[in-house]
Amino acid sequence: MTETAEEIGERIVELLPRLRRFARALSRNQHDADDLVQSAVERAWRHLDQLEPGRNLASWMFGIMRNAWIDNRRSHGRRGEVPLPEDSGDHPAVSPFDIQTSLWSVSEAMSKLPEEQRLAVALVLVEGMSYKEAAQVLEIPIGTLTSRLARGRVALSAALEGKTP
Amino acid sequence: MNYDDETLMAYADGELDAKTRSEIAAAVEKDPELAHRVEKHRALRARVSGAFEKVLDQSVPERLAQIARGGAGSASESAASRGKVLQFPTRTAHAPVTAWHAREWIAMAASLMLGLFLSWRIFAPAESELLVAGNDALMAGGALAHALDNQLASEQRGAEPVLIGLTFKAREGNYCRSFVLSESRTAGLACRAGPGWQVSATDSAPLPQGGMQQASSALTPAILRAIEARADGEALDAEAEKSAQLSGWNAGIASR
Repeated sequence: MTETAEEIGERIVELLPRLRRFARALSRNQHDADDLVQSAVERAWRHLDQLEPGRNLASWMFGIMRNAWIDNRRSHGRRGEVPLPEDSGDHPAVSPFDIQTSLWSVSEAMSKLPEEQRLAVALVLVEGMSYKEAAQVLEIPIGTLTSRLARGRVALSAALEGKTP
Repeated sequence: MNYDDETLMAYADGELDAKTRSEIAAAVEKDPELAHRVEKHRALRARVSGAFEKVLDQSVPERLAQIARGGAGSASESAASRGKVLQFPTRTAHAPVTAWHAREWIAMAASLMLGLFLSWRIFAPAESELLVAGNDALMAGGALAHALDNQLASEQRGAEPVLIGLTFKAREGNYCRSFVLSESRTAGLACRAGPGWQVSATDSAPLPQGGMQQASSALTPAILRAIEARADGEALDAEAEKSAQLSGWNAGIASR
């Protein structure tokens, strides 16, 4: 039995918090993230006929978001992406609580990752997908996903520790 | 037995089959170095996932929920009644884009005028004029104070003597802005204090080559930490930055 548009709409609404989180992991701020969610959802509605029966809606939506993000970056250029300057070594005291939970430094470090690594990190570490699910969304073999994820993690740790990888 | 980093990562992520998993678990028991490497993977995962976790608790903007339901309600109903899903109008997507064009032109003209004004007014300003000792704090002076008061990050060309980076609201309720002094390559953070700006952190910021670039990207790790220690929420977007400026950086008026 096929779902009505209304039912699909409700299921997309249920996915919105996760889509916003994924978009936030790819963008520099929530404003840009929500613009990305909007274009992905609009794109999904335009191409709903391509949603094969039995295909997981979440996986399909995340894949559309990935495409929308990449297309968006191609058309707007990669604004504001310059390497983080070297650390001066002078660190004001920040409580471990801030470091652990803060979005600022993680988001900043994420924005320095190459696209493919950022996508792998966002799907596995942020969205909590298994390697298999993430590889399906990105339409790549698991081995490729694993190596992108591993490289992304190395670069991310380096950036978070204030070092150039 | 030595394990490569990808295997240890997959172990930390719970991705290995039962046999390999128990092998590594046994090895980790005996080898503190191995245990440390696994722990690093887990800690990074926890930190990254924790950072974005709170997005799930935020309320979803109504415009997104509407679009998710298929844009205009009537469109989704009629498609459903035909038993078939068709293309939906996407007018909502284009309206704000058109509005931005006009705004961008105005912004460009404004920043050009501001740039001309600034280069006429201060040519390679001396550091001493920019940072002024207050009673018991360092205050912004001269062109820095002027830029903090008037300059919007969204309208910068990148060649200004002072570049404004991120603007955000601090936990104390006042506004703070990060900046870079192009000439002396100093990055800093200033927070609104009374009618002025108190400079609470500075750091040397080797500007990347290539001239025009976003000042927000010139955040040094030290400045980023100073921001994190103070920020309440995220950086303001262009619109919020503008309304904060119009309020005279009075957080009570511009709250949104």
